[in-house]
Amino acid sequence: MVKATATKAIEPAKEFFTEAGEMMILTGRTVMSAVKPPYPYGNEFIGQFLFALQLCWFPMLVSCVAFGFGAPGLQAANFLSLFGALDRLGGFFVLASIREFAPFVTAVVVAGVAGTAITADLGARKIREELDALQVLGVDPIKNLVVPRFLALMLITGMLDIYALLFGIAGGIGAELLYAQPLGGFFATLFSNASTTELAASVLKCTLFGAIIAIVCCYKGMTATGGAAGVGRAVNEAVVTALLGVFIFNYLFTQTMLATNPDLQTIK
Amino acid sequence: MSDTEETQDDKDGAMEAPINSPEVEAAVEENVEPEIVEEVEAADEADAADSVDAAVVNEPAPSGEFVATDGAVLGRDFVLPGVAPGDNDPYKWHTGRKREHGSTDAIEIVDVVKQFGRTRILNGLNLGLPDDQISMVLGPSGTGKSVLIKHIVGLLYPDQGDVIVKGQSVPDLSDDDLFEMRKKFGLLFQDGALFGSMNIYDNVAFPLRQHTDKGEDEIESIVTRRLREVGLGESHYKMPNELSGGMRKRAGFARALVLDPEIVMFDEPDSGLDPVRTALLCELIKEVHAESGGCYMVISHDLGTARRIADFIAVLWKGRIVESGPKDELFESDNEFVHQFLQADVHGPLAMD
Repeated sequence: MVKATATKAIEPAKEFFTEAGEMMILTGRTVMSAVKPPYPYGNEFIGQFLFALQLCWFPMLVSCVAFGFGAPGLQAANFLSLFGALDRLGGFFVLASIREFAPFVTAVVVAGVAGTAITADLGARKIREELDALQVLGVDPIKNLVVPRFLALMLITGMLDIYALLFGIAGGIGAELLYAQPLGGFFATLFSNASTTELAASVLKCTLFGAIIAIVCCYKGMTATGGAAGVGRAVNEAVVTALLGVFIFNYLFTQTMLATNPDLQTIK
Repeated sequence: MSDTEETQDDKDGAMEAPINSPEVEAAVEENVEPEIVEEVEAADEADAADSVDAAVVNEPAPSGEFVATDGAVLGRDFVLPGVAPGDNDPYKWHTGRKREHGSTDAIEIVDVVKQFGRTRILNGLNLGLPDDQISMVLGPSGTGKSVLIKHIVGLLYPDQGDVIVKGQSVPDLSDDDLFEMRKKFGLLFQDGALFGSMNIYDNVAFPLRQHTDKGEDEIESIVTRRLREVGLGESHYKMPNELSGGMRKRAGFARALVLDPEIVMFDEPDSGLDPVRTALLCELIKEVHAESGGCYMVISHDLGTARRIADFIAVLWKGRIVESGPKDELFESDNEFVHQFLQADVHGPLAMD
């Protein structure tokens, strides 16, 4: 009885750590495979990059403008208007958009749109035994399928971060205009608070989000079992796990960045 | 020292001793360690008859539990599909007998154990598949036939035991060596496993483009020949989802053969095919084998296919080989299970459950 209860309690934790360990191993093998010759994944990399770009650009545009206008834009403007300090909205956008919201929105859109497509694609191939067939034909699925998706998603998330920053700030400008404010103060506080360190950290963080999403989504796709229903389950698990991983990593990264660069915490 | 510790020390000491050493013989006489008894008996059987494989045949433990070769207890540590947890003698029909087939073994499976969760699919499997013959592994559904194929090509690794292909231990190979070794294989999956994003021509050309320096003209002549052989000469540019199940299988067969592999494996090539197409596919397998030779292994539970193409048959049940040998001898076997299975008899050890 006690043993059975203990087993039931331990089993999910064991499964979690096993999966986390296997994803770590997949990460290591992917990085090794990416740098070790030969490099047969060029065409697949370009294909995956364009595929992700095609899927993500419009959802990103809508999400970033709406999110920038709504959350940090209108909400913060409403608060700042109490103090007659609407010009500080630009400075707030450095904290809000560059540091958090742009990478956050990018990760959510990429995981939800491109990541799920990757899991569904690899999951269907796994179910149809295509991945086994590839291996039997002497082709390494990590080098030929995971590496190009890993690199493409890293590149696309890094680039889309800039895209998210621009459209997020556009949403902020919209909020500022709604409050009939001149934009000079907005841009003045934006540029006085912004720094290259902040921007570089945002892009780096977002690039690493892409790596997390790619590994989780590839792993879930390549380990899908149970037919079509299994692929659906894998897609669901992939997006949840990828976003959990992204949020945890975001906390660790941002805290480390602020701890090592205390000047970034000074509001100018 | 506690009783438990003494027992463990005794066990360790005995396990380190050679299997035919006086210490072990004495232990056997005293009936101290059931696992050692099993090993010694199996070794004696192997010595007694050359035609008997070195398979370790487990015996029921005196306690009434079935203990596997690795000490795991049936019902407590693992379950076997189709075996009740309280069954203390699930292998009473498994002689493990391997009749002489007149050739060397291209593939050897040595004491392979594979367990998924608590379910043990292969439980001390021993099998040798002869070179230059068409071998057939027959057995009821769910006995581990497809799992066996995946071990041979290194898609699964055994928990215990070894898989030796042309003298190379598959579990010991590095990833690079494994991918290199797989070029010796052709494998026809149950549903063909064609790449959905490529047409039939590109599917068949894929191994040639990946692993050879042949020009497109040469590739085209090889692919066209192989597709014509399997009756798909007019379907070059069809996508896999435009083909019937039988056509996908034939396209998969063409792709499996395109590199002229030394070892070709077929995972249920007859499933989902009508009798005529099954017969035609069997003829094709025989023709290609007669032309290029090599070790062919067919997994099926279709007796018609077995009669038509097999040179060598191994009967797999409960994760172990019941018996193996040349086709004619196996069809005449007096083993109760082999007889029931190969005659499709409703009376015998195999029941619906």
